[in-house]
Amino acid sequence: MSRFAPKHTTRQDLQPQTYEHGYSSPTTNYAFISQPGLSSKVVEAISAYKTEPPWLRHSRLAAYKLFTAKPIPTWGGDLSQIDYDAIHYYLKPTAAETKSWAEVPPEIKITFDRLGIPQAERAVLAGVKAQYDSEVIYGSIKKMLSDQGVIFISTDEAVKKYPDLFKQYFGTLIPAGDNKFAALNTAVWSGGSFVYVPAGVTVTLPLQAYFRINAPQAGQFERTLIIAEAGSQVHYVEGCTAPAFSSASLHSAVVEIFVGPGARVQYTTIQNWYKTVYNLVTKRARVETEGEMIWTDFNMGSKLSMKYPGYILAGKGARGETLSLALAGPDQHQDTGSKAVHLAPYTTSTIISKSISKGGGRTSYRGLVNIGPQAHHSKSKVVCDALLLDELSRSDTYPTNRIFNHQVSLEHEATVSKIGAEQLFYLMSRGLTEEAASKLIVSGFVAPLVKKLPLEYAVEMNRLIDLEMEGSIG
Amino acid sequence: MKTITLTHSGSYTYTLSQAGSELAVIGRFWLKGQDQLDLHLTIIHAAPRTSATTSLKAVVAGRGVVNFNGTIIVKPGASQTNSFLEERVLLLSEKARANAIPNLEIMSADVKCSHAAAIGQIDADQLFYLMSRGLSRPRATHLLAQGFLDT
Repeated sequence: MSRFAPKHTTRQDLQPQTYEHGYSSPTTNYAFISQPGLSSKVVEAISAYKTEPPWLRHSRLAAYKLFTAKPIPTWGGDLSQIDYDAIHYYLKPTAAETKSWAEVPPEIKITFDRLGIPQAERAVLAGVKAQYDSEVIYGSIKKMLSDQGVIFISTDEAVKKYPDLFKQYFGTLIPAGDNKFAALNTAVWSGGSFVYVPAGVTVTLPLQAYFRINAPQAGQFERTLIIAEAGSQVHYVEGCTAPAFSSASLHSAVVEIFVGPGARVQYTTIQNWYKTVYNLVTKRARVETEGEMIWTDFNMGSKLSMKYPGYILAGKGARGETLSLALAGPDQHQDTGSKAVHLAPYTTSTIISKSISKGGGRTSYRGLVNIGPQAHHSKSKVVCDALLLDELSRSDTYPTNRIFNHQVSLEHEATVSKIGAEQLFYLMSRGLTEEAASKLIVSGFVAPLVKKLPLEYAVEMNRLIDLEMEGSIG
Repeated sequence: MKTITLTHSGSYTYTLSQAGSELAVIGRFWLKGQDQLDLHLTIIHAAPRTSATTSLKAVVAGRGVVNFNGTIIVKPGASQTNSFLEERVLLLSEKARANAIPNLEIMSADVKCSHAAAIGQIDADQLFYLMSRGLSRPRATHLLAQGFLDT
């Protein structure tokens, strides 16, 4: 089973065909494809096509205005190559979402079969959403959970089925004006997951969403809302892949998470887009009293990722944790990190970031720790470790720490190094080849993060990292 | 080894362009009242086998504001570089503010670079110990803050 496409990058001239999930299906049977380019007409067309309530259409149009008004960010990665007029902003592959795997159109079924989704669902997942280009095409949830009141549906469905709940939370944590790409997402969003866990309910198995871009020059703009009521627990996992097209695609998601008092939400991302995809994502959680938010963020694919999952620790004793792993190969730039905003007393945040750059790849840690005037007795610890495997690669660390309270403890550490000659020598003196020794050191480097994944994902992740490292060291 | 001591706000850039050169940058500050300190410091390693240690420390009392913005840049080809940057701030009063930004930009592989930033307050245990020995609270606080800057 291999839901996460391994990429063999044994040579400097990365061969597209070695990205295991680089195949694509024809788009001739699609129910609807919007013309390339973005205008208020396209935004209205999407809204009309989805028969949305007027308030949502207005919110989309207002966001579109914000998107055009906001300048392209000049910090972070190079965004100048994105051709907004070449991108299809809405692609609907099927007429409707289906609850039964048998009803999924064959060419889409083949894709997800090859990614191993149905097997995984049977074995280890509590619920699945599969999004193909702009729409969720398949969804299921174990009956036991829906009986307890757990909602796991596509966000479009939530607009229709739970309009009040949706309106109460949508856009309240990440308003359209937050940044240029949040505005773009609010204007043209489609698909994504809507998760609601009632008070006191523990979802033991992970809920998984699978995001696949299939069409060339496609834009995928999913919108995810997770609401965990007091004392509930849920683990949400998302995986991403795309075909090997030479033209650029754009993925710009917005994820809003509301962690109730004493609730615990873990959000795991395994991002393995093909290396022409721009991945510009805004993710934020609001954590109430004694709540806990954990971001496990693994970035391996894409041309450029700019993603800083954050949490606003709004209730006394709230906790936030980010575990971030980035791998950048040739022509890749992973600009990732995390934001911790402490607003209440006795809040704690921990950010652990590990990155590996090789073959000219660039990884950047960019983070913010803000401890507000009310957040006395708060603690924050940030650790960033970077491994550089060759002379061509680059690694940066840009942390910002703002402290407005004197009864706090803040620690930040970062190191950048290569694989230690002594460690290598020791292992080789024990009979390991240089490559095997390097791999062992790299797995040791990432082990503390991989350990946090559910076992089945951890095994897969280790295998992937092994493949990534093949032949790249020495 | 060359040692530079910083005493005022400002933007400072030091480039290590000679192979094997070593540099130590030290900044010690005590802010009171309405004092504000803005320190932008860039250390550029442009040659192989260069090493630098940068240590910035501040004690902030009253309504003092400290902004430390330090960057280590290792240029391509500057291999076997060692660089360390620390930014430590001790906040003594409720109205004291601190911003610490330690940046790293590493464009060469065979390097060892690290930075640390810490913002905190006087350790309660240490304060208790000194006061149990008969020192007044302000005296004990002053002594501990002085010790923080001296190391």
